[in-house]
Amino acid sequence: MGTSVFNIGVSGLAAAQAGLLTTGHNISNASTPGFNRQQIVQSTNTPQFTGAGYLGQGANVVTVKRVYSEFLANQALTAQTRLAELNAYADQIRQIDGLLADSSAGLSSALDDFFRGVHEVAANPASIPARQSMLSMAQALSGRFQSLDGRLDEIRDGVDTQLGSTIADINSYATQIAELNQRVILAQAAGPNQPANDLLDQRDQLIADLNRQVRVTTLNEADGSLSVFVGNGQSLVVGNRAFGLAAMPSGEDASRMTVGINLPGGGTAALPEAMLTGGTLGGLLAFRRESLDAAQNALGRIAIGMAETFNAQHRLGQDLNGALGGDFFTAPAPQVLYPNSPLNGGTADIGVAVASADSLTTSDYRLTADGGGNYTLTRLSDNTTLFAAAALPQTVDGLTISLNAGAANAGDSFLIQPTRAAAGDIAVALTDARSIAAAAPIRTAAGNANTGTGAVSAGSVNGPPPTDANLAQTVTITFDNPPTTFDVNGTGTGNPANVAFSAGGDITYNGWTIRISGTPAAGDVFTVSANGGGVSDNRNALLLAGLQTGKTLAGGSASYQSAYAQIVSDVGNKTREVEVTITAQENIEKQALDAQQSLSGVNLDEEAANLLRYQQAYQASGKMIEIASKLFDTLLGLGR
Amino acid sequence: MRIATSMIYGAGLASIQKQTASLLHTQQQVASGRRILTPADDPVAAARALEVEQAKNTNALYRTNQKTAGENLGLVEASLVSVGDLLQTARTLAVQGGGGALTDSDRRSIAGELRQRFDELIGLANATDGSGQHLFSGYMGDTTPFSGSVATGVAYAGDEGQRLLQVSDSRQIAVSDSGNEVFMRIRNGNGHFVTAVAAANGGSGVIDAGAVTDPALWNAAGNNKDFTLRFAVDSGVEPPVTTYDIVDNVSGNSLLTGAAPGAAPYPRTFTPGQAIVLKSQGAEPAFDYGAQFVVSGSPADGDTFDVDASSSQSLFATLGNLIDALEAGTAGGGNTLLANRIGFALRDFDQAEENLLRVRAGIGSRMNEIDSLASAGEDLDLNYAQTLSRLRDVDYAEALTRLTQEQGYLEAAQKSFMQVSGLSLFNYV
Repeated sequence: MGTSVFNIGVSGLAAAQAGLLTTGHNISNASTPGFNRQQIVQSTNTPQFTGAGYLGQGANVVTVKRVYSEFLANQALTAQTRLAELNAYADQIRQIDGLLADSSAGLSSALDDFFRGVHEVAANPASIPARQSMLSMAQALSGRFQSLDGRLDEIRDGVDTQLGSTIADINSYATQIAELNQRVILAQAAGPNQPANDLLDQRDQLIADLNRQVRVTTLNEADGSLSVFVGNGQSLVVGNRAFGLAAMPSGEDASRMTVGINLPGGGTAALPEAMLTGGTLGGLLAFRRESLDAAQNALGRIAIGMAETFNAQHRLGQDLNGALGGDFFTAPAPQVLYPNSPLNGGTADIGVAVASADSLTTSDYRLTADGGGNYTLTRLSDNTTLFAAAALPQTVDGLTISLNAGAANAGDSFLIQPTRAAAGDIAVALTDARSIAAAAPIRTAAGNANTGTGAVSAGSVNGPPPTDANLAQTVTITFDNPPTTFDVNGTGTGNPANVAFSAGGDITYNGWTIRISGTPAAGDVFTVSANGGGVSDNRNALLLAGLQTGKTLAGGSASYQSAYAQIVSDVGNKTREVEVTITAQENIEKQALDAQQSLSGVNLDEEAANLLRYQQAYQASGKMIEIASKLFDTLLGLGR
Repeated sequence: MRIATSMIYGAGLASIQKQTASLLHTQQQVASGRRILTPADDPVAAARALEVEQAKNTNALYRTNQKTAGENLGLVEASLVSVGDLLQTARTLAVQGGGGALTDSDRRSIAGELRQRFDELIGLANATDGSGQHLFSGYMGDTTPFSGSVATGVAYAGDEGQRLLQVSDSRQIAVSDSGNEVFMRIRNGNGHFVTAVAAANGGSGVIDAGAVTDPALWNAAGNNKDFTLRFAVDSGVEPPVTTYDIVDNVSGNSLLTGAAPGAAPYPRTFTPGQAIVLKSQGAEPAFDYGAQFVVSGSPADGDTFDVDASSSQSLFATLGNLIDALEAGTAGGGNTLLANRIGFALRDFDQAEENLLRVRAGIGSRMNEIDSLASAGEDLDLNYAQTLSRLRDVDYAEALTRLTQEQGYLEAAQKSFMQVSGLSLFNYV
């Protein structure tokens, strides 16, 4: 009997001690990341049967369990990986947003300055200083294009660097998880049915950290290990083995870093970008794919569009030396990328040229060959097939795609980036201020002996270049009697006679167009001739200046400036969207974490109460032993 | 709900951070005066602001161009005023030179002065602007447009180009007029036809410039516009009777008979100072060219006058003709020829003056247009500035109120966090 009381007291003492230990453990780990509070599970000992029924035999501690809900933990993981993705996206796009916000670094001020220079030349066409200033402004403009493009390239390099460091982090976490798997397997083998709580907490914390880098899925194995998968089911960790990710050049574009996974059998396989979502890695990839490529392509389109349209008008003019205008800007050329892995089997050399700047889009294109000389072109922005199984050359979306040499094998593919590098490639072609074609190459005159009221317009040169070879030939228009028809005389016109006259109608020969208004009299003569010595003529400069507000891009719907404003608005909208989503996601994450912490987190007040509770239990059990001892003394005293 | 201690710290910190972030944003807005710090703050307004800014800059450019255009037109106008003054002087001298009391040597000294004016006129026509470009040479600003002398005549070396400036989105305004337009292409005579006198005329008949009473008739297809007026004087009767015939030089027939011109006496009887109409009278074959002219004085037998369609005659040629006439004086043709030639010169001066006025009227209306464009441009500028301010600038009253409010929130968050986090059961254990 006395022993029983002792035993019960000791069992209570032990249980209270375990409770105190666990409470102490909870208190000391209150701020340990990933710690789930632990509780002892206390139970009654097997009672002893007596004639008077079952007598209790005290308490024992069955196990120490962690207060943990897989459902709540998973909810928190999902919220965190999305938040990490959005934060990575936001950190990157804010750089572009800030770049565009800076009015001194943006394109607008440089565009305005350049066209102010063009207007200056239009006002003083013979002035060399005005022309020099226009050239300097043009250089500043192309410099601005290049610096914007350079900054976007830096951001792109930054994405590559961060991809590398994120992958290193992921690999480190994967290795640690594999090691913990090993320890969990050993620990749980040593004490079957007793969970290795703190190891599990550590492993769960690593999964949470890994999940902030890239979204992973996990699977609990029977031996207590946890398998981790990325993408669409590629194994990252299996048991105690970790396979890492690797940064590798994209097969289509060797200059673009992408993500591959090390295969169990050796070697590395590229992971499809769209499959890698969530976490910093997903955010970086999505930013590069959705925002950076689009912004750089759109900027390039302005560069290529401006160079092409400005050059086209410039070549219709005449410079201070009396020669026809040349190219003002060096127009950037679209680039064709050949795959680096797997290499194309054929020898096809694909050429891409700009056919019309106004039809250019901001998309990239993929050209694939069927091996029989036919090709299929896909626009990557919306996956539209522009032509299928057709022979080259083809002209679509303002591009002429042709086969320069060689032949393609079936399955050969080519990545066409019409505008990606354009903003970095634009340059000013002219170096001599006298070569700015401010004048028109022709002039018109009405004969002084004319007796009618006919007046001739200043005339314009018909685009696009090249201009007619006979443009500057002297052409005479003589009105017949009655003056309802006229005769044309001059090289290149074919000297037609009795051409019907309509007042104010277009008269076009040799690549120019003039209008004669009013009522010419019989015998009246009008001439069109070369504009020799026309140094004060600013007709072409006015047309060049008009390009500033002309809608020459995006199918004739946007000017240079509004195309730039479009980029600003697109990037601004995307940044805002991401920031708003982050705010929402932060709330979701907070709720998920709160729910999880509400269950599993340590409350110090609660632990303080527990401390008191177990202390009292301990004291009470101690008292019991004291009483048991007194009981024994009572028995011993009986014999004295 | 069970609360973990970490939730108290997490929630407290998160709310303080959130309040700090919005306080910082507001502070930046107030400090920079900008509502939009980056395009993300208001993407639509940011993009719109870029376009409005371009419109504002372009408008400023047009305003510069308007000033330049005004200055250029002012220069041209000033030159033309001088040309007008010169014309007035030449006209006065012409009238003076026609005075009967003068001797030929007086006339030669007047001609000498006119030669000075001739050179002055060439100087005015070759005027340059501030940057050395000739005002009246069309596109060929570097080319001196007029050169020559009274003896050789003056040739125009420029072209007919008009320099334009962009003064608004949709308007290009001409800031020059070609020298050909101003000085060369001037209709002589009365603008429709020109009268001339035969040098050999012996009478005192002086023909005026004539007038077209009905331009439609004058320009009708059947009008050959080339006539000779022939006079015959029958001295056999007292007083002598002067008759005349009008011959169409293209058909060779007399207008008045419809047949080859006959011998004197001619079909019509001449009364000095009475209009000679180019319209059938009485039984003459029907014709009507809507024109008339007056011969005053007494033509001699066999005197002729010519009527031709007018052509272009430069101001220099008109001045040169006057100088020639004055230098020739009364030698050869006597006073009648001189009177005729001075009359022709005055008549051509009228045409030149009219042409000058036409050009100046054009310049004046363009200057008016620039003035109204300038005031419209000023309004636009203000408009754009207001729009930009509305799009980009911070509303200080609102922002400062917000700043105070957010400051209050932050202080409340900090204070409440301190209070809540200070509560612990351990304080009592």
